[in-house]
Amino acid sequence: MTVREAAAALGGAVASGETDAGRLIGGGYASDLLSDVIANGHEGDLWITLQKHPNIVAVAVLKGLAGIVLVNGREPEPDTIARANEEHVPIVTTRLEAFEVAGTLYGLGVRGRRSSEGVHA
Amino acid sequence: MAWACAGGGVLKVFMLDTHVHTCLSPCGDLDMHPSGLVAAARAARLDAVGVCDHNSARNVAATMRAGARAGLTVVPGMEIASEEEVHVLAFLPDVEAAERLQQRVYDVLPGKNDAAAFGEQVVADEHGEVVALDDRLLIGATQWSVDEVVRAIHEVDGLAIAAHVDRERFGLLGQLGFVPPGLALDAIEVSRRTTMPEARARFGALGFPIVTASDAHEPKDIGAAVTLMLLERIDHDEVRRALEGRNGRAVLGGGRPMDDLALHVLDIAQNALDAGATRVEIELVEDLDRDLLTIEVRDNGRGMPSDVVAKASDPFYTTRTTRKVGMGLSLLGEAARAAGGGLTIESAPGEGTRVRVRFQHAHVDRAPVGDLEGTLMALMAGRPDVDVRFRHLLDDREFSVSSREIALELHGRSVQSPEGLTLLRQTIRRGEASLAARPMTAKRE
Repeated sequence: MTVREAAAALGGAVASGETDAGRLIGGGYASDLLSDVIANGHEGDLWITLQKHPNIVAVAVLKGLAGIVLVNGREPEPDTIARANEEHVPIVTTRLEAFEVAGTLYGLGVRGRRSSEGVHA
Repeated sequence: MAWACAGGGVLKVFMLDTHVHTCLSPCGDLDMHPSGLVAAARAARLDAVGVCDHNSARNVAATMRAGARAGLTVVPGMEIASEEEVHVLAFLPDVEAAERLQQRVYDVLPGKNDAAAFGEQVVADEHGEVVALDDRLLIGATQWSVDEVVRAIHEVDGLAIAAHVDRERFGLLGQLGFVPPGLALDAIEVSRRTTMPEARARFGALGFPIVTASDAHEPKDIGAAVTLMLLERIDHDEVRRALEGRNGRAVLGGGRPMDDLALHVLDIAQNALDAGATRVEIELVEDLDRDLLTIEVRDNGRGMPSDVVAKASDPFYTTRTTRKVGMGLSLLGEAARAAGGGLTIESAPGEGTRVRVRFQHAHVDRAPVGDLEGTLMALMAGRPDVDVRFRHLLDDREFSVSSREIALELHGRSVQSPEGLTLLRQTIRRGEASLAARPMTAKRE
């Protein structure tokens, strides 16, 4: 599934990085602690969060994430959008809350990497 | 800290606990009313305490009045939660600034407090009487980004300090992964879980001054972590200069006075200075083969008669008038006994005092050495009139430094100048680092 297809499934919109929304999603990760995403996110993950600070773009670039889903109808800060466009990071906004977003994507076959690796922290 | 009567330099060492909550914070103990807080801060021998309630400054004015009566500097402040749940401390110039900032914070702070769930939010007067209950959700987060919080603090001429950056939750680095580029912080704070040397190793590269504070929510924790600053007097402008490292003002270090051995050493050295010592010798010996850590502090002060020596490690005895109980030596003695060692005091009138404390080095309960750099900086820069000598032995390696050597190298410039402080700090850092290096590579020039 691509980021654009995920946005459609979540009834959401691609707020930035539109040209890169065709990127394939390799897995999912949900967390609002950026330090935790840096530690535990995987390349190609679609990251579910309510954080909208510009630092989320840097974390996505650092980890090579497929994209970011902002939940609960939260809109990224203007600076976040500008940097996401520069860095080619697709950000999806949706009115759904994190639980619904994760559930919807899971139902469509997106998995967390740890569970698929059989590794538990 | 009785450094206010210190001589020999324009600048003095002040001990600050910059992050203390009152009963206004929902998690704050009800005993943290303004006069209770001030009494506890005085007992902890603090020179200043920063009142930083969550998203409010409603108890600031009363605590400042209570402080003024008791001769304690109370710094107006606030702990603001950003939209990302990053906590930022505001260190403010005056009550008016606190009130202006509070009004702006309240405009972006949604929600109502649930006293049953989070606790009462008590606004009190300087006598500890309840004036009102605040019904806002002070435990919540504002709708400001961390960048907006810092900007708002600067707009009222405050200093912005990222709170407890060593903590995953509510700390800047935990919440946001790294310091956002361009974020104009004036300092970062570590909680009392992290010693100052650990903090320098982990966060020094960020380039911000590092402070530590208790984040006390109940009286017994006030002063549990302190920052030592070299200032002319304690006020907002001087603290700003210290954070900016201007005019010889400086953040020297800090830690946990009840735990860290380095701060116990500072306490003993202060006793020596109070006893009129003009020379203080500190020796730290780490003998790893025999699993021993020994600290000895010798001074040439007036000394004590034998009955006073016998009482000196009694927790309820002190010659000081600034606190009720003389906890210092008795606490240290207790800590030593808990770690397979002990404490001895030798003294006689006119013959100075020698305090010797011994620990099993690898004992699981042995307190950390802590911020030696801060302690030595405080003694050597805070009291240039005193001959301070330090020697650290680690197995067969040795580092020593003294006030005289530093003075010689400065060729007449004051140790209380930016160059003096830099030389002193670098000498201590290099010396300590040379000890920490592996024996094979520890050749010194």
